[in-house]
Amino acid sequence: MEISEKSVGNVNIISVSGRLDAYAANEVERKLDSLITAGHVCLVVDLSRLDYISSSGLRVLLGAIKRVKKEQGDIRLACLQPSVKEVFDMAGFTQLFRMFDKEEEAVNSFTKA
Amino acid sequence: MEVTIGDLGLDLVEKICVVVLFAYIVTRTRYFAQVLDRQFDVRNRVFLILVFGGFSIYGTYSGVELPSGAIANIRDLGPMIAGLVGGPIVGLGAGLVGGIHRYFVGGFTAVPCALATVIAGLAGGVIYKWRKGEFVGIPGAVLFAFLMESFHMGLALLIARPFSAALEVVKLVSLPMILANMIGIAIFALVLTNLIKERRTATERDKYRRELERRTYEMEIAGGIQQSFLPESPPRIEGVELAALNVPAKEVGGDFYDFIPVSQDKWGLVIADVSGKGVPAALFMALSRTLVRANTVGNLTAAQAIRRANDLIVEDDRVNMFVTLFYSVLDPAGRTLTYVNAGHNPPFMLRRDGRGIALLEAKGIALGVMPDIGLEEREISLREGDMVVLYTDGVTEAINNKEQQFGKERLISIAEKNCNLPASELVKRIQQEITEFSQGQPQFDDLTLMILKVA
Repeated sequence: MEISEKSVGNVNIISVSGRLDAYAANEVERKLDSLITAGHVCLVVDLSRLDYISSSGLRVLLGAIKRVKKEQGDIRLACLQPSVKEVFDMAGFTQLFRMFDKEEEAVNSFTKA
Repeated sequence: MEVTIGDLGLDLVEKICVVVLFAYIVTRTRYFAQVLDRQFDVRNRVFLILVFGGFSIYGTYSGVELPSGAIANIRDLGPMIAGLVGGPIVGLGAGLVGGIHRYFVGGFTAVPCALATVIAGLAGGVIYKWRKGEFVGIPGAVLFAFLMESFHMGLALLIARPFSAALEVVKLVSLPMILANMIGIAIFALVLTNLIKERRTATERDKYRRELERRTYEMEIAGGIQQSFLPESPPRIEGVELAALNVPAKEVGGDFYDFIPVSQDKWGLVIADVSGKGVPAALFMALSRTLVRANTVGNLTAAQAIRRANDLIVEDDRVNMFVTLFYSVLDPAGRTLTYVNAGHNPPFMLRRDGRGIALLEAKGIALGVMPDIGLEEREISLREGDMVVLYTDGVTEAINNKEQQFGKERLISIAEKNCNLPASELVKRIQQEITEFSQGQPQFDDLTLMILKVA
């Protein structure tokens, strides 16, 4: 599992690739926590190269979105692969996270709102 | 016979080997171990005095012959070490043994040499006291040897007469003597620090092993307690067969199932999966299972009951854990199943008479995520021969050596092929198939199955 990061304006984009299982979840949690603590609450998570997400992965995202929402921020997801989207759908997490097909759309959605 | 550098070199190597051997053997005796543990008694003190005193005597006889004709020896080595390691009494004792022997060997340096040997032992003991029993270490020991032997040479100049003869001897042997004792003590110190490190590692390892045993034992107890939260056996219900299975990935897990007497003639069937696994999931499992049970007993509406349970779970949840849950109310007389699905893998129903497969889906979200959730309630009718299979993703996501998943399709086809088996047999059969499929891969996630067959 690999994480990379970049920013466009006031939006920070982190890309997670590979498998987001229980072990990888810790690393992603640390990354998100440090971004949020530093005040970056407009986040896009690019999942184009994510093949699998476990319940621990969902939990980390849930924790992060709760945190940013307290600061009037949001976490939006981009480019979910079908198998990953299915996991979000089944758990009902589609109600929580706005999802976009393209990274640019996700980034732009922050300026519109 | 002229002593060549080659002879000298060989002689030195031989002496070094003796020191190494002596050091290795003595440091691994029981008495030495006791002394290292500061467990002194008469026996181990006498043992060390004799052994190091004896080594000192060996030093007197085993001097290295130098090209100049003089002899450099390591008599002081034994008492020095005895003192450093065993304290003043042992050091003094060894020094006396070696020193008194040297005195009786005679020669014009008898007095200063004997005296130096005794003082060497005592000085080692003083250092021991100063270091409060901790070994002074390799650099400290080497410095000690350097100072001690220099002192020994000084003593010879001070006491031995005639002075001119003493000066001659000291000029010839002081450098070799000082060096030989420094090297000798360095070797000994090396062997000793090795031993001390070994013992420390062994002590730590034993401590960790005991701690591990204790934790394993506690986890086994925890596993037993958790199993007691699950129904001991499915209830006997007129007109239906029920069977269930739960296998945690570790000693404790996050999956659960339940059979809840909702009313006189209706039963709640629950299957659920807490995010994560191990102890954190197990703790959350205990919370969720209890809140669901408390809110569904006596309560007939599936959606209301689970919504209330969710509000309570969310209140208690500060760690962002969530649980996916499928809850259904079985009416055996009316032959209906009313259900809600809070983010869980939809169970499937195999219908007899080739009416196909139905997925028990319903709109919802996992519990523990947010309060006041919406849950769609649906009803399905049960006909004779129908079978409902409930499962958690530990079943469908079990992987084999090629990283392929067991999958929903495989589960469905096994259920179809074996639909004539009684529910309890079918559950075991599916478990067998999963085990075979996994090809020895360790179980990655908690595994839970429940089967309902309509007679």
